[in-house]
Amino acid sequence: MSKKDILMESRAFLFISLSLVFFLTWPNIGRAQAPREDAEITAQHLAILLNVGRLIIERNQTLINDPRRGDKGFTPEVFEHEVVDEFIGQTHIDLKNLPSHLPSLAKELLPVLLQSSKEVVADAQLVINQKGIGYKNFVPATFGSQAARKFSNRSHVKIKQTTLNPRNLKNTPDAYEENALKRLATQPASNTSIIEWIDNDTTLRALTPIYYSKDCLACHGDPKGILDISGYPREGAQEGDLAGAISIQIPVKNR
Amino acid sequence: MALYNRSSILNSMIMSRSIIRIRSITRRLRHCLKELGSQGIVPFLIVLGFFLQGCGLVFDAVELVQPLARDEMSAICSRGQLRVGISVEPFRPFVFPAVYTDEGVRVTGLDVELIREVADALTIYCGGQKPVVPTLHLTRFRDLFIEMNEGHLDLFVSSIGGNVPGARPAGLWYSIPYFHNGGIGAMIQKPEVSESVRAQFQKQTGNPDTLAAIQTGFSGLTVAAQKGRTSHLYAEANLKNIRLLICDSLPAAVETRDPRIDVILSKHAILDYVTKHVWPDWRLLTRNDGTPLILTQESFSVVTVEEHKRLQWFLNNLLYRLEESGRLEHMRRRWLEEDYAPTRRATTEGLPFEVSKVPEHYDQGQCRFATGR
Repeated sequence: MSKKDILMESRAFLFISLSLVFFLTWPNIGRAQAPREDAEITAQHLAILLNVGRLIIERNQTLINDPRRGDKGFTPEVFEHEVVDEFIGQTHIDLKNLPSHLPSLAKELLPVLLQSSKEVVADAQLVINQKGIGYKNFVPATFGSQAARKFSNRSHVKIKQTTLNPRNLKNTPDAYEENALKRLATQPASNTSIIEWIDNDTTLRALTPIYYSKDCLACHGDPKGILDISGYPREGAQEGDLAGAISIQIPVKNR
Repeated sequence: MALYNRSSILNSMIMSRSIIRIRSITRRLRHCLKELGSQGIVPFLIVLGFFLQGCGLVFDAVELVQPLARDEMSAICSRGQLRVGISVEPFRPFVFPAVYTDEGVRVTGLDVELIREVADALTIYCGGQKPVVPTLHLTRFRDLFIEMNEGHLDLFVSSIGGNVPGARPAGLWYSIPYFHNGGIGAMIQKPEVSESVRAQFQKQTGNPDTLAAIQTGFSGLTVAAQKGRTSHLYAEANLKNIRLLICDSLPAAVETRDPRIDVILSKHAILDYVTKHVWPDWRLLTRNDGTPLILTQESFSVVTVEEHKRLQWFLNNLLYRLEESGRLEHMRRRWLEEDYAPTRRATTEGLPFEVSKVPEHYDQGQCRFATGR
C-alpha cells in the first residue's frame, strides 16, 4: 500500500469517526438543553405555588385568628380549592388537570408541593379550630416553612424560605442566597426571579422575591425593635420592602 | 342552661372503681405467679394453656407474666418514650394553648419544661444511648385520670393540686411538689365584690379569718369554677351560700354572659397570669393591703399510678435535686415573673404532641349550675 493510500484511508477513517460522533451526539445536544429549560420553568412554578399557598393563608388570617369561632371550616380541601383557583388565575395552569405542554419535572413536583401544603393545613387544624384563642401563629411564614420542609423531604428538589435577618435560624441564607438577596434588596420591587446555574451547570438556583404587604406590617413594621404578638422584635419594614425570597435548588445531574 | 348532671361523675367513678378492681385482681394474680417462681411459671402456663385452649387467653396470661420481668422504668427505657398526659384545657403559664410554629404544632409552659427535665433525666438513667422522647397526650383534664388508670400514660403533669381534700383519686400517686407557692385565688370584674370581701376583713381586726370573710363576702354571688379542679372541690366544700356555676374550662367561664359571673375561682398563679396577659377586664381579688387573696394553699405534683414505685422514687429524687440546685426556682421565675412571648418560647423549646390523642372536637365547653347543693 502506497503512502498516498494510507493517507486517504486514515482521512476516510477520521471522517467516518467524526461523522459517527456527530450523529450520535446530535440528539443529545438538544436533550441537554431541555432539562435546563424544564428545571427553570419548574422552579418558577414551584415558587408561584408556594407563594399562592402563603397568599391563601394571609387572606384567611382573620378567620384563622377569630377567637369566637371554634370550627373555622378552613379545611385542607377548602385551602386546596382556593389554591387551585388562585394558581389558575396567576398562571392559567389547572393543578387538577396539568397541561401536556408542562415539563415532566413540573408535572411530577407541583402535585407533591400541593399535597405537602394541604398536609400542613391538615396538621394545623387543631390549632386553627381552637376557640377562645386569637393569635395562633399559623401565618404565611410558618405555613411556608413547613410546606417547604415537607416537600423537600419528599423530593430531590429543595425549597426554602430565606431572608437576610431570619427570625427562624433554619431560614438563614447560605452564601449564594445571601448574595442574591443583597442584589434583590438593591433592585426595585419586581416579580422577576434570579435564576442561575452553578457548580458547572449541574445545579439550578432560583430566588423569587417576597415583598411586605400591608398585612405583614402588623408584625414586621414599625416601631422597629418593639416585640410583636409572637414575641419577635419588629423589623421596622415598609410596605413593598423586600421581606425575603423563596429559594429553590434543582440538581439536574441526578435526573 | 343545662343543669349539671351528677350521673356523668357517677359513671366516671364507677368506671374508675371497676378499673381499680381489675388492677387489684391482676396484682393478686401477679403475686401468685411470683410466688410460683420462674420455674413454676412454665408448667403453670402449660396447664393454663390446656384449660384455655383456643380461647386466645394464653396470650393474655403471658402478658400478665411479662411485667414480672420488666418494671416500669425498664419499659420506658426500652420504648425510648415517656408517655405524658397534659390537659388540653390551657392552664397558662403551666400549659399554654397549642400554637403553630416553624417546627409544627407545639405546646409550651412550665409543666412542659418540667417534662423535658424528666425526659432528660430518664435518658441518663437509661444509659444515654438513645434519648427518651416525651410523647405528649393532650387530653381533657377529667380524662387524664382514666387514661392513667387504663395504663395509657406513664405520668401526667397539669398543675395538679395534690394536697386539697378530694383531689386524689384512688390508685394514683402524687409526687413531692414542683410548685408549692400556689393556692386557690379569685378574679372579679365588679369592684363591689372586692369591697364586700374587704369589709368582712375589716370587721376581723387583729384576727384574720379568710374563710369566714369569703363565706360572707361571696354570699349570694354567682361563683364559677372549673369542673373537677381543686377550686371546684373548694367551692363545693366551703361556700354554701353561693350560686355555683361549673364550667368545662376557664375560658368558658370568662365568656359566659348569662348568668353574669361575679367571681371565678382558680389557681392563683393561673389567675395572676391571665389577668395580666389574657383577660385584662378581670382582676385579682386582693386583701386590704393589696396582696392577692389566697383562699387556701395548694401545691402541684406530678401524678403516676400507685404501683410504679421505681418511677415514683425517680420522680421524687429528681424533683428534690431540681429544687436543691435552684433549677425549679429558676423555672418558676422564668414562667411566672419574666416578660416573654409564649409563641416564641413554643418555637424554640416547645414540645410536639400526638395530634391523634387530642379530642377530635375539643372546644372550651360551657358552664352550668351545680345541682344538689
